[in-house]
Amino acid sequence: MLHGAASPDNKNGGIKVNFSIFFSMLVNGLSMGMIYAMIAMGLILLIRAVGVLNFAQGDLLMVGAYIACVLIMDLSLPFYIAVPLSLVLYALLGLVFMLATYWPLRKASYPVAPIIATMGASLVLSEGTMILFGSWPRIISPVLKNAQGKALTVNLFGTRLQVQFLLIIVVAIVAMALIYLLFEKSYIGIMMQAAAQDKPTAELIGISTLMTTAATYMLVVVLVSIGGYMVAPVYTVTTSLSSLNLRAFAGTVIGGFGSIKGAIIGCLLVGVVESFATIRFSSYKDAIVFLILIVFLIFRPQGLIIDKVADKA
Amino acid sequence: MDMLKKAPKAGAIVAFLVLFSLAVTWKMNNYTVLVVNMALINMITAYGLSIMLGMCGQLVFSGVAFMGIGAYITANLCSGRLGFFLPGHAAVVAAVALTALIAWAAGILFLRLKNSFCTFATLGFVQVLYVLFLNYEPAFGGPKGIPEIRTLSVGGFVFDSYKKWYFLLLGIVLLIALIVERIRRTNLGRSLASIRDNEIAAQSLGVNIYRTRVIAFVIAGAFAGLSGSLLAQHNRFISGDQFSFAKSTTIVIMSMLGGINSTPGIFVGALIVTFLPEVLRGLDKYLMLIYGFAVIIMMIFMPMGIGGAVSDFLKTMRRKHKVKS
Amino acid sequence: MGEAILKLEGVCKSFGGVVTAKNVDLKVMPGEIHGLIGPNGAGKSTMMNLISGIYEVDEGKIYFQGEDITGTPSHMRARKGIGRTFQTPRFLYRSNIRDNLMLGVDLQDQLGYFKSFIGKKGSDFLKELDELMELAGFAIDWDEDITAIPFGQRKILEIVRSMLGHPKVMLVDEPAAGLTTQEIGQARDLLMFAAKKRNIGILLIEHQMDLVMSTCENIDVLVFGEILARGLPQEIAANPIVLEAYLGRDFDD
Repeated sequence: MLHGAASPDNKNGGIKVNFSIFFSMLVNGLSMGMIYAMIAMGLILLIRAVGVLNFAQGDLLMVGAYIACVLIMDLSLPFYIAVPLSLVLYALLGLVFMLATYWPLRKASYPVAPIIATMGASLVLSEGTMILFGSWPRIISPVLKNAQGKALTVNLFGTRLQVQFLLIIVVAIVAMALIYLLFEKSYIGIMMQAAAQDKPTAELIGISTLMTTAATYMLVVVLVSIGGYMVAPVYTVTTSLSSLNLRAFAGTVIGGFGSIKGAIIGCLLVGVVESFATIRFSSYKDAIVFLILIVFLIFRPQGLIIDKVADKA
Repeated sequence: MDMLKKAPKAGAIVAFLVLFSLAVTWKMNNYTVLVVNMALINMITAYGLSIMLGMCGQLVFSGVAFMGIGAYITANLCSGRLGFFLPGHAAVVAAVALTALIAWAAGILFLRLKNSFCTFATLGFVQVLYVLFLNYEPAFGGPKGIPEIRTLSVGGFVFDSYKKWYFLLLGIVLLIALIVERIRRTNLGRSLASIRDNEIAAQSLGVNIYRTRVIAFVIAGAFAGLSGSLLAQHNRFISGDQFSFAKSTTIVIMSMLGGINSTPGIFVGALIVTFLPEVLRGLDKYLMLIYGFAVIIMMIFMPMGIGGAVSDFLKTMRRKHKVKS
Repeated sequence: MGEAILKLEGVCKSFGGVVTAKNVDLKVMPGEIHGLIGPNGAGKSTMMNLISGIYEVDEGKIYFQGEDITGTPSHMRARKGIGRTFQTPRFLYRSNIRDNLMLGVDLQDQLGYFKSFIGKKGSDFLKELDELMELAGFAIDWDEDITAIPFGQRKILEIVRSMLGHPKVMLVDEPAAGLTTQEIGQARDLLMFAAKKRNIGILLIEHQMDLVMSTCENIDVLVFGEILARGLPQEIAANPIVLEAYLGRDFDD
């Protein structure tokens, strides 16, 4: 389940590391880190808004990739229709996810119940896609192609890079910045935060918690699904995409649980460590990532960056 | 009053176990008994989880990791790969003791953390050990696992069939269930419940939260170690993929379905999770999907699982009875 | 006058610049009901949390039976004999009354987990419980959920639970809030019994002036984290500073 490798695995462990390899590893790592960061940001937004640790983030990302795959490859919709349509579908997915796993459980006497429900949802999503699409990985064509329809590459500092990796970084930054602005600066964002902090009072002054919660879930799912669409061309579309969730967890904790800035840095760190670990300790890279997680938890539980800790889970 | 209330419950449980054991002995084929045995083994770990999650309210994933530790200790001691064979029962004792020791060390580090932080730490622990189990050849046999583990024999009696194992495992599970019930009814259980429901009240009633949580974690770890040790000697082969995070979630789901805070509930939950694939043969493809839906629906309508729903029902009955009389 | 059982010396506490305790001195004698009154937000509950060890003091010392317990963790203070009840009772809402009350008995017995597990019996508390429940004035069904009884009874039951732990000092936070007149009488009986028959020193926070005036021997008035006045009930009731700072305003509600 956890063996989907993001970057080309080198089992022989003895490659000579020159600048070119170093640089491409770095870019690979950073771009995977960005994907983790998108998952992590969604995770934190949900924890802040409803106090639920979502174990299905990775599965939502995976479903996002499949939706994109169906629209672009199976229905061969043109780009300018496929993208808005997929965004709408992602938002709908978020709404359904919220109505199934959170809304009926928001007053549960057992605080772990909504968390366990996301674990159930994780099973539903991953098994559901497995049944619909089979376990065979599917190919989705990269957004930017060269004349032969292959992945576009570019030469940077004498290193050949897939443009998709750079695109991931750019799209991730833009998407996260937009969501950040929406949450921190806009009127609706402030309303959402108010509702998250004090639900009864928010209801009293006329903020619908159903509306704000739904909006939060929709935005979060749109965010991770975009991550799924972006990572799909380099990773192939497969149900094992859902395993990215665990590494995003690691990044979140390393960065300081609850701080978005910290989580992004933590996730980039995880991506890069993982990428470089493939050079020498390919089969142990997960162990290294999670060992860092444990070490951080024990020696620096507040994470890299101290921010408001919002652990209601 | 107390006796009257408990007696029919205990009677029902005994009757169920006797009938079930008769079915296992006369009606089931070897494969089905194997399935039952695996359920019983997983149950031991699930009971550990019920102490941590049910009584103490702390979600941990580490059960599977400790199960792996117990299994690999036993495998090393009973497969001759260290150059000697330890008798199976001695290996069980060694595995439980060592696993408890490791759980204690890990617990001291992890249980300082609260709630999700602690959950994450145990998640990381599972992942690290899973990778080590799969890859580190000298201690864990690497990707090939450890084969040729001797089966358990006690005083010349060799547990060489699944049915013999069934009775042994049933006995052990009952013993564990009794221990869990005993904990629930003594001061440890109450202290854990107070930590789960109200930490400030717990402190003001003299409960040492950290120490109590570590003790619960060690007990859960020892249970998991026992379950792993039995798994190794029962299957006579172990490999890393038996101790993955996915297995961890299965055990969490198993316990939640049955009722995380209900000792008979966990028994029933584990049996259902194990038997559903047999009943729904041909639908195996949809099995995990069904579990997923089942978990969500359960969390919405009865978060305390089957066991919780039954005990709520009994409570309502009692109240009605009281009103009448 | 004998030795104070609980003594605070120059206790200071602030939360991010907001001072909730400023150089507070306080003494509670064994068997005394000592009132701590003051307007809302004066820092009374903070004082309770400092004494029971939920918060750490910034400065100053806390002595219990002459022993410095300033650095002692909360659960150890409880074991030494500092009992406590809360403004909103803190029970295990998923457990029955038996388990909730047994937590108090566990505190009294202080048996190790293993000893309890292998069946070592604690003290026989049933007689004591009967005695306390008679004062409390209502009957309980062991097996009933704690949530099945009314709020007022729950609050009284919390005093009973605390007393089952055999404390030497009891911190009682607004026992009368939310109680009927009859229930307030029962709470008063329990507190008087605790102080006079059990020689427990009680620190009582309360807004209900009748209860304070009829039970307390000494009263401290806390305003903005500072002890503004201290004395006998009648002195406090007649003190113009107190009337202005506190009573005048509070009589409205």
